Amino acid sequence: MRLGMVIDLDRCIGCRSCAVACKAHNAQPPGTWWNRVFTPGSEEHQVAVGTNGHLQMNFLPVSCQMCDNAPCEKVCPAGATYTDERGVVLVDYERCIGCRYCIAACPYGVRQFNWEDPHQAKERVGYQEGYEYGYPGDYRDQDGRLVYTPNRPLGVVEKCTFCVQYTSKGEQPACVRACPSKARIFGDLDDPDSEVSRLIQERQAFRLKEELGTSPKVFYLPPTKPSR
Amino acid sequence: MEKRKIKLSRRQFLQAAAAAGVLAGTGGAMAFVRQTPARAAAGEPELKYVRTTCSPNCTGACGMKAIVENGQIKAIVQAADYPEPEYNPRGCLKGLSMLNLIYGPDRLKKPLVRSGQPGKGEFKEASWQEALDYSAGRLKEIADKYGPESIGVIFQVGGTGYVHKGAVIALATLAGWSLHHPYDQNGDLPMFWPMTFGVQTEELEPLEWLNSRYVAVFGSNILATRLPDAHFLVEARNRGAKLVVFDPNYSPTAGKADEWVQINPSSDAAVGLGLARVIIEEKLYDEDFLKTYTDFPLLVRLDNGKRLKAEEVKGLSKPDGVPSYREVYVAYNRQFLSVHPEKLELPLDVVLEGELEVELKDGQKVSVKPGFQLLRESLKEYTPDKVEKLAGIPQDKLVRLAREMAAAKPLHLVYGASNYQWYHGDLKGRALALIPVLTGNIGKSGAGISTYAGQYRVRLKVAQWWVPQGKKQNWLPWLYVLHGPTKNMKANWPKHGLKALITGWGNPFDQHNMANKLRQMVEKGELEFVATMDFQMTTSCQYSDVVLPAVSWYEKTELVGSPVHPYLQLQQQAIKPLYEGKPELWIARELARRLNPEFEKHFFPDLDAEAAAEKAIELMLRTGGPSVEGITLEQLKKGPVRVKSEVPGNRQIPFYEQIAHKKPFPPVSIPAKIEQTAQFVKSGRIEFYKDEDLMLQLGEALPVHKPPFEESEYALDPTVRDKYKFSYITRNAIYRVHSTHSNNVWMNELQDGKPRVWLNPQDAEEKGIKEGDWVEVYNNRGSLHAFAVLDPGAGRNVAVFEQGWWSRYLNGESFNSLTYPFIKPTHEIYFVPGMWAPNTAWNECLCDVRKAGDTK
Repeated sequence: MRLGMVIDLDRCIGCRSCAVACKAHNAQPPGTWWNRVFTPGSEEHQVAVGTNGHLQMNFLPVSCQMCDNAPCEKVCPAGATYTDERGVVLVDYERCIGCRYCIAACPYGVRQFNWEDPHQAKERVGYQEGYEYGYPGDYRDQDGRLVYTPNRPLGVVEKCTFCVQYTSKGEQPACVRACPSKARIFGDLDDPDSEVSRLIQERQAFRLKEELGTSPKVFYLPPTKPSR
Repeated sequence: MEKRKIKLSRRQFLQAAAAAGVLAGTGGAMAFVRQTPARAAAGEPELKYVRTTCSPNCTGACGMKAIVENGQIKAIVQAADYPEPEYNPRGCLKGLSMLNLIYGPDRLKKPLVRSGQPGKGEFKEASWQEALDYSAGRLKEIADKYGPESIGVIFQVGGTGYVHKGAVIALATLAGWSLHHPYDQNGDLPMFWPMTFGVQTEELEPLEWLNSRYVAVFGSNILATRLPDAHFLVEARNRGAKLVVFDPNYSPTAGKADEWVQINPSSDAAVGLGLARVIIEEKLYDEDFLKTYTDFPLLVRLDNGKRLKAEEVKGLSKPDGVPSYREVYVAYNRQFLSVHPEKLELPLDVVLEGELEVELKDGQKVSVKPGFQLLRESLKEYTPDKVEKLAGIPQDKLVRLAREMAAAKPLHLVYGASNYQWYHGDLKGRALALIPVLTGNIGKSGAGISTYAGQYRVRLKVAQWWVPQGKKQNWLPWLYVLHGPTKNMKANWPKHGLKALITGWGNPFDQHNMANKLRQMVEKGELEFVATMDFQMTTSCQYSDVVLPAVSWYEKTELVGSPVHPYLQLQQQAIKPLYEGKPELWIARELARRLNPEFEKHFFPDLDAEAAAEKAIELMLRTGGPSVEGITLEQLKKGPVRVKSEVPGNRQIPFYEQIAHKKPFPPVSIPAKIEQTAQFVKSGRIEFYKDEDLMLQLGEALPVHKPPFEESEYALDPTVRDKYKFSYITRNAIYRVHSTHSNNVWMNELQDGKPRVWLNPQDAEEKGIKEGDWVEVYNNRGSLHAFAVLDPGAGRNVAVFEQGWWSRYLNGESFNSLTYPFIKPTHEIYFVPGMWAPNTAWNECLCDVRKAGDTK
């Protein structure tokens, strides 16, 4: 099994609901976003791109691209970043030494670092005392590696896990469930009958920075409108 | 493989089953693999899923599930349990991050009583007993001194919470206080609806968009304001509907369109009339439709501009049994015919064109013309050439679009708030409504004209809960509070003006027209008492004398049914109220008891707030009329239930009955009685010719284009014509529902915490403004500071601000300090609260922009 995601940019309405769902379910501390949505060509989100009336506005959600050939994994001196048996690139929070080589190596800029104790960061926001958001249990893989915990230690790197705490149970990742436009499709790339495989085959799917040879498992469908 | 050692609640079981593909489609969490790897699950958390409904003032009414562990909401997911899969999942970034408000730092913990000067935001904590006793005492004093109608009540949108808002309305009704209808208060009432169709507002349910072949959007940014429904627009387009967006600015919605047609600000009426002219001149209209359903065959007297009444004509008389709120007019097919206002059955050989002479009962002969003839004459001036000058739309493009629209069926127009929140917004609606009406695109699947803003229409009869003992209610349009009474006003002006304000579910001291004026009313002591119910410390709380901590919609039982979404849904308590928060029904009941022990009886005094809320829901379901017939509380506890309608499949298609079954216009707009709204369209038909004296005097008998500012800003102060060349537009961002979520930490991270103003790059260059500069938007009424965003899609000479920021993010300024409470006289011809009433015109506002030095 190789888990992958297809993001249909034609359907994407740029609402950033996926980013917010990701943040909530994965207990990301203030300032940390595993998943971002951009307006390519513009610094500001939802600003038109172009001149003289020849304008366009498209949206691009970007989170971990789950590379088959992941540069982050290669540079990790601690073996903290690894690819699991389903093709998901994960970070073992107990092995991460916080060197941040992976952040430098990732061509997609999706890795985030806990410079501050996440609890302190949340305290600064001023939530009700004792309040914690996010999926409340730890998740360890078959080998006991801690790849999700709502209590992230200071000084570790974190990123999208394809919601390992949910997808390991056969549920959908939070961003997929949350997308009001159903722009995200998740499934097994090894299964030729899966919807992800079908879409990649039928539509002109592309990947980000394909030329780097990272071979991501996140595919995008272009934001083309039907021509008439 | 080891089995998971957890107990499954019924909900969890359903979820797990759905995940395993057993109950595909029921849980919203379809399996992506058939076999799922199990794992040792030591200490897996016990999660409870509570199905409820998100209900801020967007009225999206999205079904949500709170994931609760140990009494805390850990995350929120869309319930995705609507029977039509197209509606799943429903919910957006704001609803999904609601936990930041529920558990956030602005949460009110205890009742507060003002301790410092009014408006300074200094309070001391109080017990509920103290706060309620004090409030009731002050309200009694004010009512005794100035009359109870001097106490105003702001409750915002009824459909987002029938129980608790109803409780506050019921209390106001019992006490004789004045109610401010949110629809006109918020400037959301599109006055063309009552003028043309006799209704408050109507719209197609978004699922129906998929059946359209052509969608023309005028001034609506559905990709920001209707996030849960925006995908239907994209899907409709992908299924072959042409999507055309008419807007001065290139919006995200324009980004998804087949065609963006840039027009000048406030020129939509000219566009509509230009399109209508082409459709008429090229005979692309549906003649039978016009004869059957519209006022176009009705004759108009040329001597006085009034419609010819049957009782005036020699040989004709008014048929028996015509209700007094109707009028019998006259048409002609080789003979003059009385047109029965409750029967849509004119012979199809009635004339639409020409000029006739008719003999009146007194022997006088007058010339008459059918309404259609007058329209045709009036449209003559809107040639493609002229429309190009007025609206900036190239001539051949206008002609092409008119032909396309006339050829496409079903055709749906979206007439958005950016379009109508102007002084002459009503004229634009009347002009644009011509297109679907001329082409017979009314009352049919995928067809019509819709608004999708405001959404105040209540979906069921609420009188038994909202109006105790059928007592008369006092309604006072908010604009009069700011503007002062006018000589033509039909609403009652309280003898001493407004002396006290009770607010819930709103933030008027940021959000309302001339918020600065409201602040001054507090600071100067004109408003002697302000009580606010809220679950957060908003700007409005800061200006209050008493702050009563309410609860969020995850902490109470409530009934939700909004116009845009066709489902009736419950809010079910996911967690107990935080701190000392109390549901509003409880607050209203406690105040009621203190004002008059008799009042308390209405609010189920023997039950706790949750049980009382359930009783209120049962009462409304029992007495709510045909739209909720047979729907029970038990059903609603299981999930959403579609509101009933006369349309097959209970779809929401406006005027279906009028068109399919030839029922007279208007359909009932709950809660108004038919005699209140039928007077708007006395002919029982879709009316484009309005013969009320004021309409004739102002030259608005037929829809016309009138330029912005002439009768508003320039009339108020002629000197601003040269001073202020920019339009000040306040639009909605994806990050807030008006001012709700203004303090949501994640929403602010997504905006770098920066309020922004959008400017055209050329305009900015002329003013020496660069991207990211701290700029001031100002006029002689107020000022606002924000960061400049240079947007090549912004039209010329507009400053677009994303509204909803609390003052504390704006250096204490209110972005509504620039606006003015213009009252258009035609909005005072009738008065039915929230249906025909003077309406805030946010966008009718001139300003200038300048660089404000270094960023703050």
